[in-house]
Amino acid sequence: MKKEEILKTLHDISADPFPYLRSKRESGLKIIGSPLADVPSEMIYAAGLLPVTILGTNKPIVKAGAHLPDNACSLSRSNLELVLNYHPDDFDGFVFPQVCDTTQHLSDIWKMTISSEFFTSFLIPRQVDRKSARHWFYAETSRLRENLERYTGSPITDEALRESFRLFNEGRRLLREIYQIKREAPGVISDRQLFDLIRSFCYMDPKDHIPLLQELIDVLPKEPSDDGNVKVVLSGIVVEPAQLFDILDELKVSIVGDDLTVGSRMIAYDVPDREDVIEALTERHFAKSPFSPIRDVGTRLYDFLLQVVEETHADGVIYFHIKFCESQDYDLPDMKRIMRERKIPMIVLDTEYQSVTKAQTKTRLEAFVESLYGERDNG
Amino acid sequence: MDEAKQKMTAKEFSKQLTKKYYEGAKHAHEEGKFIAYTTAVSPAELFYAHDVIPIYPENHSVMMITHRMTAELSESIERKGYTSHLCAYARSDLGFRELHKSPIGGIPEPDFLLACNAQCFTLTKWFEVLSRRYNAPLFVFDTPQFIRDKRAREEIIKYVMEQIYEMIESLENLTGKKFDFDRLKEVVEYSRQASILYKAYLDMAAYKPSPISIFDALINMAITVYLRGTPEAVEFYKLLIDETMENKVKKGIGVIPNEKYRLYWENLPIWFKFRDHFNLLASYGAVILTSLYVHAWSYDFDPSDPVRTLAENYASVFSNVELEERAEMALDLFRRYSLNGNLMFLNRSCKAVSFAIHELRDIITKKTGVPALVFESDMGDPRFYSESQIRTRIEAYLETLDQLSFERERGLVA
Repeated sequence: MKKEEILKTLHDISADPFPYLRSKRESGLKIIGSPLADVPSEMIYAAGLLPVTILGTNKPIVKAGAHLPDNACSLSRSNLELVLNYHPDDFDGFVFPQVCDTTQHLSDIWKMTISSEFFTSFLIPRQVDRKSARHWFYAETSRLRENLERYTGSPITDEALRESFRLFNEGRRLLREIYQIKREAPGVISDRQLFDLIRSFCYMDPKDHIPLLQELIDVLPKEPSDDGNVKVVLSGIVVEPAQLFDILDELKVSIVGDDLTVGSRMIAYDVPDREDVIEALTERHFAKSPFSPIRDVGTRLYDFLLQVVEETHADGVIYFHIKFCESQDYDLPDMKRIMRERKIPMIVLDTEYQSVTKAQTKTRLEAFVESLYGERDNG
Repeated sequence: MDEAKQKMTAKEFSKQLTKKYYEGAKHAHEEGKFIAYTTAVSPAELFYAHDVIPIYPENHSVMMITHRMTAELSESIERKGYTSHLCAYARSDLGFRELHKSPIGGIPEPDFLLACNAQCFTLTKWFEVLSRRYNAPLFVFDTPQFIRDKRAREEIIKYVMEQIYEMIESLENLTGKKFDFDRLKEVVEYSRQASILYKAYLDMAAYKPSPISIFDALINMAITVYLRGTPEAVEFYKLLIDETMENKVKKGIGVIPNEKYRLYWENLPIWFKFRDHFNLLASYGAVILTSLYVHAWSYDFDPSDPVRTLAENYASVFSNVELEERAEMALDLFRRYSLNGNLMFLNRSCKAVSFAIHELRDIITKKTGVPALVFESDMGDPRFYSESQIRTRIEAYLETLDQLSFERERGLVA
């Protein structure tokens, strides 16, 4: 396939994965959905099921509103809407992670409003700095294994897990390679295309995804080349709607790094090779970069972003705030202050899954990008 | 009890204890003692057992709210980039740090912070801000949702117990002093007694007519929130129960005359409005008797195994169980207190308690047949309180109850 063909295939799946998922289902695979974040997909896959990260919908909210308070975050609202209204029959089960108040209580609502063959919560430790968190993650991952085994009626062998680790690690490795190619030659693929690839990783069987990524790498030019765009780091949890990436492309901005949950945090950390497979998953979890709702060590949440900016020599940071995300709300004032003190230009965009982010966001971004160009060219 | 104390009313005693507690906290640093900020539902026993003074920013925020300071305090931090969607406790507190205004002259700065997320996750984020501000360590006491799976529960308790030991190590590092487990047993014993008495006090709402309303419960809750673990808290609840028994129950005096509707209240109170609500409801013969919120401190401790009992009690608070179980806890109150009305407050400030309110209403209404009123406002910020709208809705609801009881009396409905 040609570069454009591969990119188009993955773009289509990332924009609407359901035709792809239905075809997988027709071939006998069961689909297990999980909202963000940190459910070990490898475990679900090793059970012979297809893990799918639920990334919300940009379509109008019709049914979810009646179940949620008005100030529920846009992500929770659009996730519930996606399954309750638009795709009630496209999932066989759910592994529901709890990372904050919203996910904890949405888990209860989900169980009561959406019928499925299988539902289990996944209770992620909301601290990472003490050894108890590791013990808990280990115990909870073991519980997930048992629950999945009970559901499928067959054991998840260590061999199946190792094979699953290998496949997911390979998918991540290829995505990292493409990210690195883009970093060195930003014009090779667009911002939108890069994140389409990452997004499709959330939806696809790695056996289908890997060959496409490999083929893409084969046809991408590898020589470093500067496209002259300003370089930015994206920060936050998710960037929604995905049209925001198109705007970045239009404004001649190149992404060189990020700390996004649906981004580098998802592809940067492989499962290591360990005798104890659950220990391997545990180790990977605690290697991850910070995630706003989970209490990290000291000020690591900010330090990590500063480190990414420094390593990538970015000209500025674009922070994506999900409307009504409390966790980000508490982080932001200090984050703005720290960025100001370090003289790192940063813009904060308030985003909502349902808003067709045009006029105002674009104008603000335009002004920010112009100032980045001004600073770069005069500084 | 000395002579003077015996003559004191529970109200006076409570005032005296509160004053002493805040005075003690104010001079803690001069006396070489450490101050720990902690959350209302948290193993504060560890602090009392280690001579560290626990301070509850939430409690201080309630004082700022009832003194109607929240709008001003909140605006001061909204200018700094915090949004008005955040918890009113957090906004009041962060505003206090900005403007240095407080009805009690403020609270001392922390040496240590403990955030237990059984209550909510907001506290973690709020305390993170404080931890950065004061460069003081934050210990997140993580309590995964106490799901109804026996094995998972055992694992959760194991995890929480391990954190208690970690917490003890942190306290030892803070003070340089060895932790005394015998002392912990004593403290937990005081907590046990205070909790039993506090619960017995709340349960007085089962009498008909009820000698107390939820407003009495809310006022008298403060002592168990910040002084459980001390002998004074035990004394206070003894006095309070005796007094209520003598002055009200034995004489058959209800908290309102002509009690007709005995209401459940869902969520935290609207702190700055509760006097008005009491009066409005009383004019209809209605009184709010209880809430799962006030029962959040009805613990059942077993001092013989203090670490386990702390883990079990704090992990299983109503805000940390699955919705079906939480509904059962509420239904238990409906049964035991013969409740026949249900006011469900969707509190903008408190996503943790409010998030699944519609599903909770469905369960409770289905099981009790009692209609519910769901209305939205904020527990602390008058800018989100619409007087006429809420008043009208409460009045309409009470008229519905009137109509329903009229029809029931005539056998028109089941």
